[in-house]
Amino acid sequence: MEVHKVNYEVNATPTLQILTEDEIEAIYFSSLRVLEETGVRCYNPEGVDILHAHGAHVEDKNLVKVPSWMVERARSTLPKKVTIVGMPDKDGKRKYRMDLVKNSAYWGTGSDTPYTIDPFTLQRRRSTYQDVKNLAIIAEALPNIDFFMSLGITQDTAVGTYDRWQYLAMLEGTNKPINITAVDVEGLRDQLEMAYIRLGGKEEWKKAPAFSLYIEPVSPLSHDPIVIGKLLFCCDNDIPFVYTPCPQAGATAPCTLAGLLVQALSESLFGIVLSQLRKPGAQVIIGGLLSQMDMQTTVMAYGSPEMALLSAAYTDITKWLMVPMYNTSGCSDAKVFDEQAAMEATLNTFIAGLIGGNMIHDVGYIESGLTSSPDMLVATDEIIGMVKRFLQGIPVTRETIPLETIDQVGPGGHYLGTDHTLRHFKTEFWKPTLMDRLDWDRWVKAGSKPMRERVHQRVLEILQAEREPLFDEKMYKELRRICELADERHKGEEMGIGIV
Amino acid sequence: MSKILEQLATAIIEGDIDNTPKLVQKALDEGLEPLTILNDGMVMGMNEVGRRFKAGDMFVPEVLMSAEAMQAGLKVLRPLLVASGAKLLGKVIMATVQGDLHDIGKNLVGMMCEGAGFEVIDLGFDVPAERIVQAVKEHKPDIVGLSALLTTTMRQMAYTIKALEEAGLRDKVKVMVGGAPVDEEFAKKIGADGYGSNAAAGAELAKKLVGAA
Repeated sequence: MEVHKVNYEVNATPTLQILTEDEIEAIYFSSLRVLEETGVRCYNPEGVDILHAHGAHVEDKNLVKVPSWMVERARSTLPKKVTIVGMPDKDGKRKYRMDLVKNSAYWGTGSDTPYTIDPFTLQRRRSTYQDVKNLAIIAEALPNIDFFMSLGITQDTAVGTYDRWQYLAMLEGTNKPINITAVDVEGLRDQLEMAYIRLGGKEEWKKAPAFSLYIEPVSPLSHDPIVIGKLLFCCDNDIPFVYTPCPQAGATAPCTLAGLLVQALSESLFGIVLSQLRKPGAQVIIGGLLSQMDMQTTVMAYGSPEMALLSAAYTDITKWLMVPMYNTSGCSDAKVFDEQAAMEATLNTFIAGLIGGNMIHDVGYIESGLTSSPDMLVATDEIIGMVKRFLQGIPVTRETIPLETIDQVGPGGHYLGTDHTLRHFKTEFWKPTLMDRLDWDRWVKAGSKPMRERVHQRVLEILQAEREPLFDEKMYKELRRICELADERHKGEEMGIGIV
Repeated sequence: MSKILEQLATAIIEGDIDNTPKLVQKALDEGLEPLTILNDGMVMGMNEVGRRFKAGDMFVPEVLMSAEAMQAGLKVLRPLLVASGAKLLGKVIMATVQGDLHDIGKNLVGMMCEGAGFEVIDLGFDVPAERIVQAVKEHKPDIVGLSALLTTTMRQMAYTIKALEEAGLRDKVKVMVGGAPVDEEFAKKIGADGYGSNAAAGAELAKKLVGAA
């Protein structure tokens, strides 16, 4: 064997690091101190009892102070990897898979916006069942979208049981892994039942869960009774869950980014401790929508550089903790899909990709998370494509440094016809699907379409394409039956004030 | 404008919580009428705060400090104003509805209302309709402000308005609503008197509802 290189380092991917190990430890130990000395409010009595029985101090009924050793012990049983696998295709294979583990990146949409931009009229209005289904169909068609969250709350269904209908709409549109929301434990149980039906039995779920649940602590340091109920149900039923806060620096969290990280970590660590007490090995994903309150408008910023920076820094922390990260990108404060939306989504998607973690949500959000945009979703898929190319870095090998070819072409020749070019041109370059690289005349002949028109055209193409239903009528009826039964049980609660 | 009123307006603009009540007292000692002190000193200051906030020269934390200074001054002034029979802006009850723990928006509106000169009674978060009815009976406010972040808890706003109707109190108070998923249309649907899309708009709305703007 010929060896010429020694102590030679390879950079398989570009790297980004925001915090050093010392800084991460400083934040982590500060979080432990917050949990131990400041404590958190847990408004769920069962949760308080569990924590109290295992060593936490409880004051004033629901102020829970968690000693550091409880956090350390919880970490010892916390899974370092969470796998979620989508629904079976017609051939019975579940082909979409996410292995949420250190240094892996998967992108998906955001959830439950009150409004959506109608793909046909471009008007902003309350989102409906059909919107959720349409956006799921778009996500299914996009190569860089790995999981789906309901881009819109179904508001043409009953308010108190919207979650089952919303899940049905998502299942109709996509087989990709889903991160669901639930009204309460009952809504979660119903959706789990729907997943069992769709999977063809509980055993399939045991092989790999097909959805995770999105739940939140409320910043600062508060834990909602219903949310904790859902958390416990997830532990009992092998449902991975995302337990991530949405702190706003300066308003619901300290104004400094480091201070916000400490508080956000305390909030999620509390969920970790409770989950591991309930069931060692319970699958938790932490992270959050970490940003600031804009001090001019009081809006929570989704497109700010601070949001991208905080998410990246928190990813450094989760890598150190070895717990899957729930990151944020593809979102904006712009009101329509415009230049601002594209600029903000590009920055935060690039940063989320570079830092490498793990379940990156909120693709398709505009208006600071209040509106979902099909155009934003499709455009961000293209941004992710560019970012993924960047992340492949530059392999430096004998094959990629073709000295023989350089010698063969020599000064003044060209590489277009060489074997080396033929071998590499299809894989070395990223191929745009929306970005325009035509010369002027061809661009004019193609209709002089600016980016937003090309993006919107793609949205319409996807929605107008012929497609087979993902499952048969019998399955649809079974799933629908669960939604209808839920409506029946909650009939009296709506007061005729449905939102749409 | 006399020097003391000018100083008072400046103290409000600067959010000087310690000095504002002292300056109010000084103005009273100089023989100025309570209503003059309020309108030509404090409100002048607060108007300037509003102007600067809109122009982007002042930011939320600074506005809130000014609101606190306003309240500190009013603490001295309010009993005298009441005694003199002057018409005050009135009382606002603020609450995040049952099932919802999110209260930053409600807190902001409350503080902005205080800055405008309202007396604000904050019932906190996760507040059931019955407790709001009870508080209306007890405090006799001019306005009830309801907040919700979740579409599922938005319904509680409707329940609360219905509970006020059933208690025969609906025509005694104005109801304003707000929160991220709430909009004008929803406000109308549930029979609220108004909707504010942000904290400053909430305070403006409150003034409008009592006929002061």
